Amino acid sequence: MSTNGHGGGVARPGFRMLTAGLLLAAAAWGLYSLDSQIQVFGFGASGPDARSFPRLALWLLAAVVALRLVLSLRSDDVPLGNPVRLGRVLAVTASSAAALWAMPQVGFFFGAAGAGIVVALMLGERRPLLLVLPLIVAAVVTLGGRHGLNIPLP
Amino acid sequence: MLVDAFLELLNLWVLVAALVGIVSGIIIGAIPGLGPTMAIALLIPVTFSMQPIPAIILLLGVYQGAIFGGSISAVLLNVPGTPSSAATAIDGFAMARRGEGGRALRFALYASVVGNIFSCLVLMALAEPLARFALDFGPAEMAMLMLFALLVIVLFGGGSKLDALIMVLVGACAGIVGLDPISGTPRFTFGSFAFENGFQLIPVLIGLFAMSEVLLQAFDRETLVGDVEVPPLKSFVVRFVELWRMRMTLFLSSLIGTFVGILPGIGSTVPAFMSYSLARSRSADPDAFGRGAPEGVAAPEAANNAVTGGALVPTLALGIPGDAVTAVILGAFMLHGLAPGPFLFRDHGLEVYAIFEALLLSSIPTVILGLLFFRVAIHVTRIQPRHLLPAITILAIFGAFSVNNSLFDVWVMLGAGVLGFLLRRANFPLPPLLIGLILGAPFEQSLRQALLTSGGGYGIFVGSPITIGLVALTVLSLAISLFFSLRKPRL
Repeated sequence: MSTNGHGGGVARPGFRMLTAGLLLAAAAWGLYSLDSQIQVFGFGASGPDARSFPRLALWLLAAVVALRLVLSLRSDDVPLGNPVRLGRVLAVTASSAAALWAMPQVGFFFGAAGAGIVVALMLGERRPLLLVLPLIVAAVVTLGGRHGLNIPLP
Repeated sequence: MLVDAFLELLNLWVLVAALVGIVSGIIIGAIPGLGPTMAIALLIPVTFSMQPIPAIILLLGVYQGAIFGGSISAVLLNVPGTPSSAATAIDGFAMARRGEGGRALRFALYASVVGNIFSCLVLMALAEPLARFALDFGPAEMAMLMLFALLVIVLFGGGSKLDALIMVLVGACAGIVGLDPISGTPRFTFGSFAFENGFQLIPVLIGLFAMSEVLLQAFDRETLVGDVEVPPLKSFVVRFVELWRMRMTLFLSSLIGTFVGILPGIGSTVPAFMSYSLARSRSADPDAFGRGAPEGVAAPEAANNAVTGGALVPTLALGIPGDAVTAVILGAFMLHGLAPGPFLFRDHGLEVYAIFEALLLSSIPTVILGLLFFRVAIHVTRIQPRHLLPAITILAIFGAFSVNNSLFDVWVMLGAGVLGFLLRRANFPLPPLLIGLILGAPFEQSLRQALLTSGGGYGIFVGSPITIGLVALTVLSLAISLFFSLRKPRL
């Protein structure tokens, strides 16, 4: 399950390059917005301020991720695979995000149960009767959380 | 202190918590793909309304049970729940195929108990003296200690050092978000109050270990385990004399597990395989290994279980977690007001010793419940992920919310889940990220406090015998790592 980059060619982008690329972009953005995101009020104190450690950590991260990307060009990578598989991951993520977004309006039970049903469908559950399982779990968790653990669920 | 701590355990709720924890752990651990880290992370919210002692005992019971449960799927299905169980699976599955699955599981159970008892005794002997010693540490000593710990994770954690370094830095950068530890200035908060507390450990843990598993299983649907045939399980009794014959293997494996566990970030996979190799090299019949040798099951299991007792030494005494599991346990301690570090034993000695004694004594119910429940747990291994993972999703949402009763934490959990999915698919290791997240902020705080004390002079980092010793250890670690890297044959 790897994209071979040996033999003089450049490896096709896979999960490692994608992840490293995203990390590099995040580190670069962090460095770019460092001054606007961290206000420093100098009172004459010597030594590092609130920006020093973040700047050092982000520069180091950018440097080592860039090195990883360069090394990844000529080494094995984990292929991204069939787009359908990534589609399932996106569907689970999107349904969970939608459940969270809607939770203040529809409540914990409906939000969590909805996310659970989408996960079951994405994992291949096709029997309608068994789609009731997430509803039961969500009901038990909602009741247990509210009345057993006194957690003010939405 | 020990007697007072023992008296704290004479409480019905403590017994109930230990039993519930162990049974839940065995059942959760037996399900392929669900390890002890995820089990503890998901169950932390259940302990919110409990007293600290039963709460931590429940979670440690989950851990003990899950390690044994993990060996059930490793032995019977050849599907190691955790990478460290892979060593158990080599001979365990071979034994199971010839109908000795029950015997292999009994060896695993008894070896686990030996490893646990040994490491608990070491934990009780070492943790408090180490914490007392660390009371003399100032900011410069703490900064150098944390730098050493982070370096050990990168150099000796196994796998690519570059990947481990990236993960430590990702964790440290994530730890920047929130209020600056010295001046209180908001950093990367985007003007939102929700970001000012930074990323809470428990939602991040739940995301990295539970939600990312849901996403991984959604991605890998074609290769899910579910309909694998479980080999016939005949009942075989393991006699005491058989365990006595392998006493040196059990002792050495427990020793390796405990002392490798003390080193931060190495985890339990390395000691499990080290013990397996040692047992094989010491065996009179090394060829039997790989074909169903009982010692091949016992050695990694003893080492595997001994790791957590060892890893709890720096976790509790210094606040430096040894691996992912102890990072989760550290989070649980913090949630219950028992902040790990040098002051833990001074301020909460009674609670901590009660927990140590419970960990030691829980070996008895672990054996009894392990023998009673492993036949039940075999049925659990047949649970289809499509029935289980929706429940995990719901529990993950609930668990993240219940930390601060805040939906922001659930968003953090989901984000950590997506990040965890990408990192796990890309074969980046998660434990260094977790340890970077935990140690990043206190490292920065100690570093800056030391520099403020010294007026910006870096000489403070070599200004005391302790800092000089830690710098020497850091340089020695770098030299050892470089030496082994240069000696490694290049293909």
